[in-house]
Amino acid sequence: MSNRTEFLDSIRHRTQAGRYKPTKAPDSAWTRTPERPFATPPIEDPTARFLEELEALGGHGKRVEDMDEAREHILALAKEREAKLLVRWDVDELEELSADEPLSEAGTEVAIWRDLEDFRDVAAKADIGLSTAEWAIAETGSLVLEGGVGKGRTVTLLPPTYIAVVPVDRLLRTTTEAFGKYGGGNLPANLCFHTGPSRSGDIEMSLAIGVHGPGDVHVLLVG
Amino acid sequence: MTTNKPALKRDTVDHRKEGVESKVEGFNDRARKAVKDRELHDSVSLFVNKTLTGRQANLAALPEAPELREKAYHIKQKTMANLDTYLDQMADAVESRGGNVHFASTGEDVVRYIGELAKRRGSKVLAKSKSMATEEIELNRHLEEDYADLALDIVETDLGEWIAQLAGDHPSHIVGPILHMNKKRIADVLSETAGEELPPDVKALAGFARQRLREKFLSADIGISGANFGVAESGTICMVTNEGNGRLVTSVPPVHVVVMGIEKLVPKFEDLSVFTQLLARNGTGQKLTVYTNFITGPRGEGELDGAEEFHLILMDNGRSKLLGTEFEEALYCIRCGSCLNVCPVYRQTGGHAYGSTYSGPIGAVITPLLKGDKEAKDLPHASSLCAACTETCPVGIPLHELLLKLRNRQVDEGLAGKAQEMVFKGFEKTMTSPKLLNISTKAGRVAQKPMTKNGSLRPMPGPLSGWTDTRDLPPLAEKSFREMWREGI
Repeated sequence: MSNRTEFLDSIRHRTQAGRYKPTKAPDSAWTRTPERPFATPPIEDPTARFLEELEALGGHGKRVEDMDEAREHILALAKEREAKLLVRWDVDELEELSADEPLSEAGTEVAIWRDLEDFRDVAAKADIGLSTAEWAIAETGSLVLEGGVGKGRTVTLLPPTYIAVVPVDRLLRTTTEAFGKYGGGNLPANLCFHTGPSRSGDIEMSLAIGVHGPGDVHVLLVG
Repeated sequence: MTTNKPALKRDTVDHRKEGVESKVEGFNDRARKAVKDRELHDSVSLFVNKTLTGRQANLAALPEAPELREKAYHIKQKTMANLDTYLDQMADAVESRGGNVHFASTGEDVVRYIGELAKRRGSKVLAKSKSMATEEIELNRHLEEDYADLALDIVETDLGEWIAQLAGDHPSHIVGPILHMNKKRIADVLSETAGEELPPDVKALAGFARQRLREKFLSADIGISGANFGVAESGTICMVTNEGNGRLVTSVPPVHVVVMGIEKLVPKFEDLSVFTQLLARNGTGQKLTVYTNFITGPRGEGELDGAEEFHLILMDNGRSKLLGTEFEEALYCIRCGSCLNVCPVYRQTGGHAYGSTYSGPIGAVITPLLKGDKEAKDLPHASSLCAACTETCPVGIPLHELLLKLRNRQVDEGLAGKAQEMVFKGFEKTMTSPKLLNISTKAGRVAQKPMTKNGSLRPMPGPLSGWTDTRDLPPLAEKSFREMWREGI
């Protein structure tokens, strides 16, 4: 950019001129009181904690034995929501789930996130979005979603119902751990920490669920 | 409010509609009106009390909070001391990922860049997610005016921000843009847009917004967003939204433009572990915002959604002149809104009284710093200096100290007004001369007689009533300590 050098020069001039030393470290108001513990106690049962956090946010979590149980759960949900169209990520985990055929037999058409002319048509019309997640965070009930080939961002965003199938060994304990997975800054074009249903408190602080993103969020921890 | 400055120029016109360089003078008048507005007071209380309760609970559940706060402060300090290097690194990283970077010294630069981009691409619909940086430069209005021939349809997509846009209103809180509007008013605004009567029911109103804004997302040519943070090492921008509009604006339209203040940088991705937690817990009382979204350049090869074109505009607009000065800490702000929520002045006046994009203590600090002391003369005085803001700030900005420094600067610049200058000159003379002090004390005892009621001075006449209208001022004692001493007590 032609204006870059000039812009940065003017800032360099300021950062290197006689610097004022800011007053001090933050004041003592947040200083620990003696009775306060030094660190959050370690999460002993990450699965239980994840489910608890997600429920508290208005999401639904369930630990299932295997992919078969996960599939049954998804079939039941699709029926309950009277879903006409489900869109899913094109990833191995969901191949393993092999829910496509039973779903379409039960009247829910399945669109796979590959070779789409216009993704809008599919993602915006689908009643359910289905994905897996790279990681899940027990501390906050979050999913860590990586974008990429076969892994559409809008799959998890446009349909009113969203289901994630996550192998239980991907459960991390804390947010800090999750950030650590991307240390050094080697990031995909999109990464999202997705924590519960879409919500807004803009109208008189009353909770509105599913304002733009899905309001109906289900996470199945498998294994 | 808290000032008893006499002879202030009165001004009730809201100048923000006149342009970026306009004055934010007139706080005192607007505040006086706002204080009497019961409905406003109820709305503000509802918001701040709920938010503060959530904040309290969430911070209590995080024993590491004090360490996180200190860490945040030091990361920001380091960033500002080397901002040129980090900006350079950020720009390189974004370009290496196939994004475009533009450095904008002013708001006009930002408007021109986006306007020309829209012209080049023949864009019509611009979908925006809530961004204080674009509010600050009044991007929407300037694009509509300067590029009127393009007939752009610029749509805010945050629920609150959209309602404010439809109502022709300005956001009154960094986090809760329409906390000043009640349900009925919102229903009126949305009913007019819908062309039918909508009930004042949150579910119905939000449902209408979802449906109407969905059409905009799907037809938008350009998505415009701000950024909560930028990561220098990877060229990543981080934006948080609870509704998901931020993720939609950056995922659906073919072009994504980010307008980011240069102070939003952090050096490393892992630094965001500190900041995203502090922001969510302090701003909204959540552990993590629903959509904490990280975008690094345009969509990758073979991806079907996400913007194909990514533009990062790094905006200065007055920020860099604070670097290395005693006001630098004002740049550490992460816009969580906590200082507004705890401020006794904000809680009485709401955000609009400040007449600036940024209200509350942080607004009173950065508005004069960005726009000049003359433009925002009242704001450093819109504080009781109780320091609740400093206490609550999750990144440790000494807000009340900065307000005091700004008041000092006004005196140095001769902005304090002749009357105030004379009062303090007189005070200095009196206090440094025992003879004068003696005489004036005696005179004061006589003069206060008619104004003393039930052991306190009230009401005092003229400009002094600003003090006694709402507070007790004890009268001078019958005898001073020195006199009592001389008489052998």
